[in-house]
Parts: sequence; C-alpha cells; structure tokens
Amino acid sequence: MFNKILIANRGEIAVRVIQTCRDMGIKTVAVYSDVDGKALHVLEADEAVCIGPSDPAQSYLNMDKIIRAARDTQAQAIHPGYGFLSENPEFVEKCDQAGIVFIGPTARAIREMGDKITSRRIMVDAGVPVTPGLNFSSHSLEELLDKADEVGYPVLIKATAGGGGKGIRIVHAREQLAQACESAAREAKNAFGNGAVYLEKYFIRARHIEFQVLADTFGKTIHLLERECSIQRRHQKIIEETPSPAMTQPLREEMGKAAVAAARAAGYVNAGTVEFLLDDQNHFYFLEMNTRLQVEHPITEMTTGIDLVRQQIEIAAGAPLTLDQADITARGHSIECRIYAEDPENDFFPSPGKITFFKEPTGPGIRNDAGVYSGCTVPMEYDPILSKLVVHAETRDQAIAKMIKALTAYQILGIRTPIDFLADVLASVPFGKGDVFTNFIETHFSNWKPAQKNLDLACLAFIVDELSQKGKNTPARDENRPDLGLFQTLGNWKL
Amino acid sequence: MEYKLQTKDKTIAVDLALDPENRMTATLEKIGHDPIKYDPILYGRVSDHQVQLVVNGQQINAWIENQPDGKTILLNGEHFFIQDTDKLAQTQPRKKGPGQGTQEVTPPMPAVVIHVPVQPGDVVNKGEVVVVVSAMKMETSLTAPHGGTITRVGVAEGDKVMPGDILVDIEKTDTSET
Repeated sequence: MFNKILIANRGEIAVRVIQTCRDMGIKTVAVYSDVDGKALHVLEADEAVCIGPSDPAQSYLNMDKIIRAARDTQAQAIHPGYGFLSENPEFVEKCDQAGIVFIGPTARAIREMGDKITSRRIMVDAGVPVTPGLNFSSHSLEELLDKADEVGYPVLIKATAGGGGKGIRIVHAREQLAQACESAAREAKNAFGNGAVYLEKYFIRARHIEFQVLADTFGKTIHLLERECSIQRRHQKIIEETPSPAMTQPLREEMGKAAVAAARAAGYVNAGTVEFLLDDQNHFYFLEMNTRLQVEHPITEMTTGIDLVRQQIEIAAGAPLTLDQADITARGHSIECRIYAEDPENDFFPSPGKITFFKEPTGPGIRNDAGVYSGCTVPMEYDPILSKLVVHAETRDQAIAKMIKALTAYQILGIRTPIDFLADVLASVPFGKGDVFTNFIETHFSNWKPAQKNLDLACLAFIVDELSQKGKNTPARDENRPDLGLFQTLGNWKL
Repeated sequence: MEYKLQTKDKTIAVDLALDPENRMTATLEKIGHDPIKYDPILYGRVSDHQVQLVVNGQQINAWIENQPDGKTILLNGEHFFIQDTDKLAQTQPRKKGPGQGTQEVTPPMPAVVIHVPVQPGDVVNKGEVVVVVSAMKMETSLTAPHGGTITRVGVAEGDKVMPGDILVDIEKTDTSET
C-alpha cells in the first residue's frame, strides 16, 4: 500500500480524497496555486506544495510541476480527482515514466474513451447499443445532411473532442444544420483545438443514466448500479439521485451488463462511469465513458456503503477487487445537490468572494462534501463548486424531504448560492413524481424567481438585527441606571 | 416606530411598538395588501450573524449579513436582500476617514452639487474644476488635487454631500506632477 499520495486537484474533491487517505493511514500532499494558499484542501493535507500562479495552465494543469512536487515529497502515487488532469493521457504517461502510480485507468483507455468517435466504434464492436448517428466525425455537410435525414430530426451536432457542454448544438430542421455545424465546430476549435463534429439523434425526453464501474488489474470488472443525472442546466448536472425512478430490475440488469461490457471493451482499470441515454421507449444507448471518479460518486457510496476512493487506491496499489457483482446491493435512496457560488436570480452568474458565515446541515443521513469554510475566499479563477450536499433515506420521498430540510439548514453568507432555487426544484410536483428528463429545468424552471413566502418574517428579522446591534451606534447600557430601558439606549431610528 | 423596507420589487411599511424585555408588536403593510399584525414578537441575538424571533409561538432563526446598502437575510431556506428606504435616500458617495481628504475631491462643508463639468475618461490638469457645490448660498468650485484621468464620477447635480465624501476619482498619470 502507498504511504504517501499527492492529490493533483483542489476544492471539495481534494478534501474528499484526503479524508479517505487519512482513514487508510496514508500521508497526503496537497498542491496549490498562489490564490489557494489558505484553501481547505491545503490546510487539511499533511504537506503542501505551491505550484505556481492562479492560471490553471501554470499550476493545476502543469504536469511537470505536479510531478516534480510528487518527486520532491516522495509521494508514490497521484490521485487526479475530476477535471484538470484526470483525463489527460499525456499526464498518465508522464507519471508512468516518473515511476509514480496514477490512480486511475491507463493512458490508452483514457485516450480511446476520450474520443467520442473511437469510443462509439469500440462499443459498436462490443455489442453495446449506441445512439443512432454518424459513426465517424465529418467535415462534409453532405454526409451530415444525409445522416440527419436518415436518423430523423431533431439531431444533435457534437464536437468530437467536446465536453462540459461545449460544442453542442440541437438542430430541429434541415435548414439549420449548416449553421449549427459551423458554430459547433468553431466553438470546439476554440475550446479544444479540434473542430471535428459528429451527429446523433436527439431525444427530447430522455433520461441521463450512468453506471459506476470498478475494474481491477486481474480482469475483474463489476458495476455498482446506476445514477440518474437528468436534472441539468446548460448541459451541466445539478441534481443527481440513485436509484433512478425510471429503472426496473430487468432494465437495471441489462444496462449493468452493458456497462461492464463497455468497460471491458475499453480495457478499463480502476473506477469509471458509463453514461447512457434512456429514451421514452426504455431503449438505452451508450453516450460516453468517463474515465475518472465522477463528481456525483457520493450517492453511490451512500446506498452501497462502499468507499469508492478507497477502492481506487487499492486497485492502483495492485490489490484485487474483493467485491463480487453479487455483493453489490443498494439500500434506500440518495440525492445529491451541487452547491455552486452562483446567483440564481442573475442567470446563475458566478458569485465569488469571501464567505463571511458558513453553517453546514448535519444529522442522520446528511453528508456535505465541502471545499470551503467560514472566512475563506472563493476565488474566481476556478469552477465555483462549493460543496456537494448529499442525503440518504429509506425511500425517495423521505430523501426529498430530507434534502429540502438540509438545504434550509445550510447557511452561507457573503456570496450568493442557488440553495433556494434547489429547494424549489426538489419541492416541485414533477420532481416529486420522478418525471425527470434532460430538459427538466428548461421546462419547469426557466424563469425562476424566489417566492419570498417569508418576506414578513425577514422584515422583522431585519429590524431585530438593527435593534440588537452590539455596540454599533448604541451607547452601552449603564449598569448604574437600570431604569433606563431599551428606548433610552437605542440610537439611529425615528419616531 | 416606523421602518420603510424594500426588496427588489416590493415595499413593506412596518409599524412597531417596542415593549420591555425584548418584546414588540408589529404591523406590516405591503402595497396592495391588507396590513398584518404580529403580536407579540419575542426576539434576541444568538451570535454575530444569527438572531431569533418567536412569532405566534414559533421560533424562527434568521442568519444575517450587513452590507453597506442593506442586509442579506437567510430565513426558512429563502434568501432576501432587504434595504431600509430611508437610509438609502441618504446614501452618500464613497467615504474616507477624516485627515485623508487633502488629496481628494471632497467638499469643505455639507453642500449640494450644482454642476459636474467632467465625466469618466476626461483628462484633467491640477487645479481644474471638477465639481461645483453650493453651501449656505455660496458656490464653491472643487478642483483636481493632481493631474490625471477621471476614473469615476460619484455624484450628480442635486446630490447632498458631506465633508469626507469622495466625489470624483482621478487616477494620476505618470507624466503629471502633484
């Protein structure tokens, strides 16, 4: 087993990896940029190395600096978290060359699954259903038009090298195809340096369902059931849950088998996720494979009782998987809400700044993976995720109620968050019914405004705060004049 | 005791009667709605950022942050930004402490702005008039303490200003001498 691991990441995921390392008695090394000197992941690690300026290219994405930090601290392995270098095959190769274990899959698996066209081809060969569409990327408008006619509108134009919602266009009619291709290609070229696009059938009412997989270096591959990730905003997930309300046991078994087949076809090792689209006819199609630990992994941990980071570390250290497929069972229901530093009243514009007050919800079945604390400053240079709030309860209804209570008990002052927006989504009738599809937010919450049901009480609270300011504009109560009541000692109000 | 409070799109008039021992009664009226009376209300401070009220026997916690122009209030999972309309009407431009005014554009006494001949982007020389104020029926011209570029004009005609208020920001250019 490793005695020291370097975490090549920041924020909540770095903190979460450090927590499992601690559980296992493994020493941890944090890396940080100039603006993260007092970040939580830095404070929590055993050692910390500053790796450069805030610009990710010069710090969190800088492979040489990170490997040097691992060498200098004698870290034997690197956990890449998610984002940053977690799916960079070159980084995996550099780790291999440096004799440092990369906690994740091989460079080849990352490369092949990272290319949408290659991964689709591998799946087709392995008998895993894929979304109808072009099985190769194209620059030819003719080819794309023909395929679109064949598959039927609406279609999705996607960048081959895309991700994070970029380089995607929905096309509803033949006349719009040319323009959509041009614009998606341009966006992809700018973001990823590669303007190739491909085409897929677009399912208007589809569910995004993914399966967690684990594979060891001895050829054993298992799945750890599904996660439902349909609630998205601008193609970014905001609420995830398990089990999926759409799942039946037969469908789960079928999709689980397909996920394992997909991972095997990819030659996969360590933790990964196979994403599927489930249409309204209950047909499922391979979407893509994420060759890293996912943001929403905690909900799987809550229902299965398995520490996925621990499994990752053990697999990377060469241990065989002690779990068999038959051992994987889930209990109850788990929901996660991603809490970002964003303003839901201002089109979710980022809201960085200093957190002046931070009080997390706690209690049975409540877990908050946070990367911030009271008094810290949320920098604007990075993804503004503050925490993942996760609940677990016996039934879906109970989990929804618990999440709403947890959100209500989560107090963050100093920056704006969508906590109130999320509570409204969770409390909504369609969510309660399990009617969750990828267009949920657009359909039900596109013009959300806070209801302000408790405005009267908030006004009273405002006044109470004014009346009870400690020492501010209020002369100190004279102990020798107990006859002077509140009236006489108040300042700053008018009669 | 009265408060006139506002959010982005609502105004609420509050009429309060304070009783001893942290009790009060309040009547709240929103435009277009009937007034609602809350009686009694018990209240207290829990910590710097938390207060508690007891309304109709229900305990309610509120977490509050004070900002220069209002308060952010978290209550029952909702987020509010509430401002005191009366306090807002008196909002001043940026303030600096006493003794720091010599290099700033600030009135020597409480005054009213009657003319602002500059706008952001203008280049001015030391001694040029940037704001004209009137106090006690006398016009006073405030001049640039150093040459440079106007980066911010914080006042408009008709504003009431006080000594210490910074009315205009001028960024020194390298070539100009103080």
